[in-house]
Amino acid sequence: MNEKIEMKDQETGMGQGHVLDLKLPIGWLLSAYGVLLGIYGLVTKKEMYAKSLGFNLNVVWGALMLAIGAGFLLAAFLKKDKAGR
Amino acid sequence: MDPVITLNAVDYAIIGGYILVMILVGYSLKKYMKTGEDFFLSGRSLPGWITGLAFLSANLGALEVIGMVANSAKYGIATIHFYWVGAIPAMVFLGIFMMPFYYGSRVRTVPEYLKLRYNEATRGLNAISFAIMTVLMSGISLYAMALLFKLMLGWSLTGSILFGAVVVLLYVFWGGLSSSIYNEVIQFFLIWLGLLPIVFLGLKEVGGFAGFVAKLKEPLLHSAKYLGTSANPLGVDWFGVVMGLGFVLSFGYWTTDFLVVQRALASKNINAARMTPIIAAFPKMLVPIIVVIPGLVALLVLPEFSQAALPTADYNSALILLMKHYLPNGLLGLAITALLASFMSGMAGNVTAFNTIWTYDIYGSYIKKGKSDSHYLRVGKYATVFGVAISVGTAYIVQSFPNIMDYMQLVFSFFNAPLFATFLLGMFWAGATGWGGFFGLLVGILTAAVHYLLYRLGVLHYASDMAANFYQAWWAWLADFVVTIGVSLFTAKRKPEELAGLVFGLTPKTKAAARWLARPAVWGILAIVIAIVLNIIFW
Repeated sequence: MNEKIEMKDQETGMGQGHVLDLKLPIGWLLSAYGVLLGIYGLVTKKEMYAKSLGFNLNVVWGALMLAIGAGFLLAAFLKKDKAGR
Repeated sequence: MDPVITLNAVDYAIIGGYILVMILVGYSLKKYMKTGEDFFLSGRSLPGWITGLAFLSANLGALEVIGMVANSAKYGIATIHFYWVGAIPAMVFLGIFMMPFYYGSRVRTVPEYLKLRYNEATRGLNAISFAIMTVLMSGISLYAMALLFKLMLGWSLTGSILFGAVVVLLYVFWGGLSSSIYNEVIQFFLIWLGLLPIVFLGLKEVGGFAGFVAKLKEPLLHSAKYLGTSANPLGVDWFGVVMGLGFVLSFGYWTTDFLVVQRALASKNINAARMTPIIAAFPKMLVPIIVVIPGLVALLVLPEFSQAALPTADYNSALILLMKHYLPNGLLGLAITALLASFMSGMAGNVTAFNTIWTYDIYGSYIKKGKSDSHYLRVGKYATVFGVAISVGTAYIVQSFPNIMDYMQLVFSFFNAPLFATFLLGMFWAGATGWGGFFGLLVGILTAAVHYLLYRLGVLHYASDMAANFYQAWWAWLADFVVTIGVSLFTAKRKPEELAGLVFGLTPKTKAAARWLARPAVWGILAIVIAIVLNIIFW
């Protein structure tokens, strides 16, 4: 699931740390925001974007957030994969 | 009065998504909270990038962002002094020179260091004043959040206060410092993603930096060129900026305030602890992008800040009015979520600092000594509930007497400035004695209070309130410094072996990381060099 238990740094020699891999919640939250903003941007009318100087910012920014969110998720899964081996 | 901004279902979904994730993160941390150190210091287990971003975000509260946008509209580019002069050197100094004593001595709190290095009285003075300050501060930010959302969105004041308090209580109660730190990291990304659209649209509309140069008055565009002249909007001279802000205020805050230092103490090893403030220094240098540019844009595009309206303009509303001006629904919800996140993490930071100081330095030192670890863990959890309850109470008191807010912030400033002298002498001069530290700190606090009274009564004159503030910090620091040395010369010194690990020169050097890319000093020097270049560019 979301949590991944990491061994503490060997220098300190203490027990288990409680590292919830923060990349996962950040990744999910930003991706969900990206999808929501993107869809909302696609279904809303052009007039709404007069204030943002004519740019459909919901679509543009939604895509950007989805990309950043996906990046975090990818990084988290790659790390998990590496740790699993 | 109609609210300034109207949100729709999509905006509320974005706000709701954030709250949900925070509560889930808090809940999933619950099972790791087995010992006091887990709850109060995240089990000293976090990697440097997380503690570094949290270190920065703990300071990037909503009031800070709104206030700095307001300052930028008022004072122009000179606002960057709060970043490139007033923060970076202190953060690098903390990482390179001070962190080995904080982290290396295994203290759990800032007052605990004062006890080991000076004496019980010095710790008591610092712990009690800090505990009172943080818990009241958390009430102030709770009230500020509720007031902002009432004016801008039409939310009920009581509803916002209780809702914010309950969410913070839930996730801090479950996850302790880890919850607080994780929220701060998420907030870091939300603040950038929420505010950058305003920066892009603003720059586009005014025609980029060329637009600023063409349309704004010259003194607003330089940070240092007009210091000490009458055209300078800050009203502060060189000495005030460099010694007051750059040295005393910023070093005092970044190196001794437990709210930020606690983040570094949660690191997994000494190298990560030393890297924490240095990692934070790099994004800190970029924060002017999201505060200074919007402030300048506000002057040019908002009718509320046109030349005719300026004398009566409410600068603190600049950021909110820009959101309304540029952001369509959807992105608006994201920007509001960013503000909400920074209010909540500000409050959570105060609450976690409070419960740690209360449990270790007050309860565990003066009320019940020598109990089991699980006893103190329970006390810490109750202290969280207690701290949130006091915050709610404070929020209501402030609501009935809004001026109290200004007075409280003022009183807090008396405590912060001199403390850096106590630490500087404590860490770098083995001759400083216990009573020297105590009386130095006490006299420093009193000096700040007396200076403030003299300024208010009209005995002392400064060009602006900000100048008075910078000089007050300087004199308080100097008084602490001189009195600590003076008293130390006449009181009994500690044996050198008692000070091992606490004082420079009596502590074995920390082993530098093998790879030079992992060394704090390398990154610290890089941060300083970039800050110098930035200062020259915007001179």
